[in-house]
Amino acid sequence: MGQSRTLQVAASLGAILAWIVIWAWLTRPGGPVPTLYFPAPDDVWAKFVRMWQRPYIGSTLPNHILASLYIVLTGWGLAALVGIPLGIAMAWWKRLKWIVFPTFQLIRPVPPLAWIPLTILWLGIGDSARISVVFIAALVPWLMNSMLAVYSIDRLLLDAAKTLGANDHQILTRVVCRTALPTLVAAARMALGSAWSTLVAAEILAATAGLGYVAVNASQLLDTDVLLVAMFMIGILGIGMTGLIGLTQNWLAPWSVLGARRD
Amino acid sequence: MIEKRLERMGVMTDRGKATAYGIVSLSLLLILWICATSLFQWIEPRVLPSPAQVIKQFAWILTEPFSGLRLPGHILSSLERWGWGVLTAGFIGIPVGVFFAWNPWFKTFVNPVFELIHFIPPFAYIPLAVLWFGASTATQAMVVFVAAFPSIVINSQLGVAQVEKIYIDAARVFGAGQLRTLWRVVLPAAAPSIYTGLRIAISNGWMALVGAELVVGKVGLGFMIAQGQENASVATIFVGIITIGCLGVLIDTLVQRSERFVLPWRKVAS
Repeated sequence: MGQSRTLQVAASLGAILAWIVIWAWLTRPGGPVPTLYFPAPDDVWAKFVRMWQRPYIGSTLPNHILASLYIVLTGWGLAALVGIPLGIAMAWWKRLKWIVFPTFQLIRPVPPLAWIPLTILWLGIGDSARISVVFIAALVPWLMNSMLAVYSIDRLLLDAAKTLGANDHQILTRVVCRTALPTLVAAARMALGSAWSTLVAAEILAATAGLGYVAVNASQLLDTDVLLVAMFMIGILGIGMTGLIGLTQNWLAPWSVLGARRD
Repeated sequence: MIEKRLERMGVMTDRGKATAYGIVSLSLLLILWICATSLFQWIEPRVLPSPAQVIKQFAWILTEPFSGLRLPGHILSSLERWGWGVLTAGFIGIPVGVFFAWNPWFKTFVNPVFELIHFIPPFAYIPLAVLWFGASTATQAMVVFVAAFPSIVINSQLGVAQVEKIYIDAARVFGAGQLRTLWRVVLPAAAPSIYTGLRIAISNGWMALVGAELVVGKVGLGFMIAQGQENASVATIFVGIITIGCLGVLIDTLVQRSERFVLPWRKVAS
């Protein structure tokens, strides 16, 4: 078992190396792909190192990253503050769901990005426009999965709590909110993924800093190497953040991780 | 017995109540909107147009060209780009997914490129697509492709991997070769999962298309919204948003309904 896993990892690393070699060969000086369309790997690396130290269109790479993270985490966090309680409440009190859900269903099919022009008109091109678009993008997964989390609770647990004399309030705080935790972690991941990809588009449209802003400027200035640095950073940060959320499941809801490992 | 019947009745009345509550809450929202705009003008029409203004704008875009095209024209060009992107993603994605599951070495080799497409959000490809293709249909189609491709590959792979080994063994016992097994046994068995992948791809592609059109292009629904922003015409943006939302729902419903005709054997299996 262990040996085949090592082999697998080795093969994957080999494949990545092979692709980098193919990439370098294709973009070599006088190669088939002009660097205007796709830069060579060493150029991208050099640019990455350079951008880390010297500012590109106003800020260094770490500052652009921080600008993006600030917007995405604010929008995502605000969406959680609204989405989790509202989702749980909607699943718990039927009437609330009947009142709120139709409106929610009405705006759900609209891609979050379609709100960007509206938010720009209403709020200008400042942070608040981007935060609100990210908020909309993250709210849908937060709310839907919070509702789902409550619905998927084992009826037996609720009945057991009721039999043991728990009142409605106690069941909600002691049973529902806790058993829902693993699903909420999944919700957090989905919401963050949605928020992150929407943020990139929002930054392309209206921003003065951030990775999407770097990407769109690089594209206009034909700096393909900068563009690739921005794209890689966007990808890596996305993986990193969702990975971190996955790790939090370990200490937030350790029982669910154990259950997952068993099968 | 009685409890069960009561519960069933309860569900019945619940549904009726839910509809009633929904109708009331939506009408209240509409009344609030009308009050805020045309009736008492709490909010300037520049910021929030009245429902009547939105309907007027809708009729206007339907009959008069807006930035060169009428509304159906914008819809058609959006659908065209989206169609190209999703079709290409399907034509490349299904074979890639199937071979991912069929041949582990192929997967090991191609996976790094796939992960790159998978983990970088589709919108991050917009600047690159603009650089490569300029303001052409291919730009938007590429963004749609990037958005649609991963779910097709993942679900096709899943579908093939979940095919019962006994089917494949049986086919082999009956003397079918690799290709014949793949075509006659594995693909039909994996089809429901592949179909699910396509469905996700279709709606992801639609979302991505709007983003791509907002950034680049001279026609399309996303462009229409962006134009609305330029002209500070919130009514135009509303018309665009409503059209995009309705089309999204329509497409999803059509795909859902079509499943019965495309995969008639699925019902039997489940």
